[in-house]
Amino acid sequence: MMRRTVLRVLIGGLAPLAPALLAPPAGASELEAVLAKGVSTYRTFCSHCHGVDMVSAGTGSYDLRRFPLDQRARFESSVMDGRGDMPAWGDILKPDELESLWVYVATRGGKEPYPDAPEAAPPADDAETDDSAAAPPAPSDLDPVAEGRLTVCLARNGGALSGWRHEGGSGFDYRVAAATAEAMGLDLAVQWFESEPEEESDPVKETYALLAKGLCDLVPAVALYEGALGPPPAENAAPPRWDDMPTRDWVEFVPLEPVAATRPYMRAEIGIVTGPKVGRAIEGPKDLAGLDLGVQQGTLSGIIALTEAPQATVDASVTFNPGPDFLWKLEGGAFDAALVDVAAFDFHRRQNPVSLLTLHDWRHPLGFNIAMAGLERNPNLIAAADAALADLAASGVLEELAEAEDIHYAAPREPWMQRRLTRRDLRRAP
Amino acid sequence: MKFERYALAGALALSLAAPLAAQTLEDLAADADTPENVLTYGMGYGQTRYSPLDEVDRSNVDGLAPVWAYSLADTRGQESFPIIHDGVMYVTTHAATMALDALTGRQLWKSMLDYPAETPRVACCGIVNRGVAILEGRLFRTTLDAHVIALDAETGEEVWRTRSIDFKDGYSMTVAPLVADGVVIVGISGGEYGIRGYIEGYDPETGQRLWRTYTVPAPGEPGSETWQDEAGDAWKTGGGPAWLTGTYDPELNTTYWGTGNAASWNAGVRPGDNLFTSSVLALDPKSGEIKWHFQFSPNDPFDYDATNEMVLTEIEGRKAIVHANRNGFLYVLDRENGELIAANQFVEEVNWAEGVDLETGRPIHTQVYHDAVAGEPVTHWPSALGGKNWAPMSLSDQTGLAYINTFNFGMNYKAVEPQYRAGVFFFGAEFSWEWPDGHRGALRAVEPTTGEVKWEQRSDIPRNAGVLSTAGGLVFTGAQTGEFEAFDAETGDKLWEFQTGSGIVGQPITWEHDGRQYVTVVNGGGAVYVLFGGDERLASVPPGGNVWTFALPGE
Repeated sequence: MMRRTVLRVLIGGLAPLAPALLAPPAGASELEAVLAKGVSTYRTFCSHCHGVDMVSAGTGSYDLRRFPLDQRARFESSVMDGRGDMPAWGDILKPDELESLWVYVATRGGKEPYPDAPEAAPPADDAETDDSAAAPPAPSDLDPVAEGRLTVCLARNGGALSGWRHEGGSGFDYRVAAATAEAMGLDLAVQWFESEPEEESDPVKETYALLAKGLCDLVPAVALYEGALGPPPAENAAPPRWDDMPTRDWVEFVPLEPVAATRPYMRAEIGIVTGPKVGRAIEGPKDLAGLDLGVQQGTLSGIIALTEAPQATVDASVTFNPGPDFLWKLEGGAFDAALVDVAAFDFHRRQNPVSLLTLHDWRHPLGFNIAMAGLERNPNLIAAADAALADLAASGVLEELAEAEDIHYAAPREPWMQRRLTRRDLRRAP
Repeated sequence: MKFERYALAGALALSLAAPLAAQTLEDLAADADTPENVLTYGMGYGQTRYSPLDEVDRSNVDGLAPVWAYSLADTRGQESFPIIHDGVMYVTTHAATMALDALTGRQLWKSMLDYPAETPRVACCGIVNRGVAILEGRLFRTTLDAHVIALDAETGEEVWRTRSIDFKDGYSMTVAPLVADGVVIVGISGGEYGIRGYIEGYDPETGQRLWRTYTVPAPGEPGSETWQDEAGDAWKTGGGPAWLTGTYDPELNTTYWGTGNAASWNAGVRPGDNLFTSSVLALDPKSGEIKWHFQFSPNDPFDYDATNEMVLTEIEGRKAIVHANRNGFLYVLDRENGELIAANQFVEEVNWAEGVDLETGRPIHTQVYHDAVAGEPVTHWPSALGGKNWAPMSLSDQTGLAYINTFNFGMNYKAVEPQYRAGVFFFGAEFSWEWPDGHRGALRAVEPTTGEVKWEQRSDIPRNAGVLSTAGGLVFTGAQTGEFEAFDAETGDKLWEFQTGSGIVGQPITWEHDGRQYVTVVNGGGAVYVLFGGDERLASVPPGGNVWTFALPGE
């Protein structure tokens, strides 16, 4: 039971229900690719009402050149669900088309720079120059699943951590993987998969299955805790649905193999988030007295909330199903405060750029170091990735990438491997 | 040249036997000669939009003043043709049908329509409706989500409703139905969505579909040999919509219905003439059977619909059709057999064809056409919106001239591989506008058989409204900047204008009641030029439709 709650914190909480990928595109070339798609998508779907090349008198329909650039969520809901005279497109517009339309509109038809365009990614060159002493295994010794490439498995709907793009990808994990591949002298390839926040899905088994199936060399976003690595947790398991997966009526189980991990590149932590009505700083769970507490059922953060908050607050708390809707409910005023995975908060902010929620500074001391997992039988590849990550950490690139992606970054902390949790671990709040 | 009438003396006796309130088929046939009523789209089955009324004339038109205005409570472009019977005016928007007291403008009833939120996306060029047809106490109209419905003219209650097809595959309806030989005839829209076009006949009594004639034949059917793509499936998405109302000759018992462009625009991927796209079909109204056809733009890459009105007249003793095509040529055809009598350029610039071969009826293509089909970038004139768009012209009995709102701009065009996806644009081409310096349009008075331009009134922003001519020596039309205008039919001098408060893309009519002549037009800017054209000078012209009715001040 405890294991499942841990998993929910780390992965279930990050998996979005919303189909749209809301993060901005990562780099300049990717932006151009998305914009090119935006041009053709606009022609096909929008030009007849909003004007060829988005030039419009603005009387017969909205002049999209005036669309407020800080209201992406409004843009997307208007496109998908319709608004006033605007028809609904949700049943036929694909997520990447929606995103490309936003880029087209946000660049005023490709005539202006994308707002908040991130700086050109700095990491790889720096990493390589700082890297001279490390002498990782040569690329030829790595035996990756695709020659000359580092293939990583990433959730295509992982919000601030990973997001599929028409060209390339976005998110912190994606960027770390790209920097790692470059430091290893390999081209990055991504095998995207769908991360489902279902009760039945077991991210640990899924990681084992992705690797055993040979879909990728490394799986990022793996939490380092006892039982998540080493010998397989089961004889067979089914990988999650991946891009280009053949259509079949049956679920394919693959025999699992032992898994090892690189050093961690970030740490997942739990913090306190409050809604718009709470105007004061919250120093810790004890300060939640007097507030309506919302609890995500069956999650580690939920259990900690019930353990740490004042008894009267706990007694009056309301329980919700876990998932991305939880923070939207907080946004809507269903309750005042909650303990959540910091990454889930970052994900929510991507969905709602005008969020009124506040993440406070307090963190529960319990956290999980996040690393990349690979097959134990390919130690050279894991060692090379490990060396690359060490350099990225030492040169400050990881923090830069986190800043560029606008996520709350915490560096990994010793001990790297979290042992099995006890009730006492939950009660260690200051 | 003499313009004919359908004063059917024999039929008059029959109409007396009908109930007093009914509008019989004979009434419809006599519409052009009964100016107290306006019973058919285009003011007569021949759609000449010419009225014998002459109370308002050159000498007094400057005194024309509004009698009433009625808000349509709608901000879409308004193209509805008002029908008037027995002092009641019937108008439509995409969302409602309304009955008004024609003398006061007071609403008698309003019947709202509802359709799925996805529907407007399948309308390429404006969320419009072009009006009702009337027969024996019933109104017939189409809906954007491709239904044909009948309403009780007395109450506005729906009598029947028949779904023509699933709109989600790109089909829609904006057409005003034609009632001919006791059949309600409609045509489908969606030429830019990879549809397979058709025209249909419905039973006015029950709403049962009596026939459907596809404008694109299936393999093995007559005309299928003109679809020569290797895969053999281009016909399935071959286009050929039929979105404007056909004309009808009761003597020949034939309706003349124009068809739209072939789809996608990329003509290179559908070699062959692509019958019966960009054509006129002569149909038997009872069966939908094609009696003859004439194709204006074979294997068309430029979106040159031939849906524009097939105006019926008599030329040199022959029953003729006069038709101003999007492709820039004004055609005169013998409507008994489809023989080409004349074809002349009626716009300033045409560069895709040198002319029309009178022997074969085919355009004489220039390199621009061949390059376009081959996938080379070209600049072609007229643009995809045509030398004349949908806005109907008028053919005056008095002057013999056709009064046409013409477009004067081109298009930069390049064919690309089309990607079919149900319910979204299926262009197969990339394009942008080629604007001239100065005027983008002109109201032109054109001699039908020679193409000679007697006069023109240029405008920077092109007019896209219907035209009306009268025995008072007047031509009425409207500007997209809101002015309702009257011109001298002989000289083109502007004699009067009135600012209606929103752009005009509707259809002016004139009618009389108790000896007083009225002129009615629906305003409400929008539709294809406003939406697609991106003319920012129109930013200062608000949308919002009204029905305006004018007359000379009373005693």
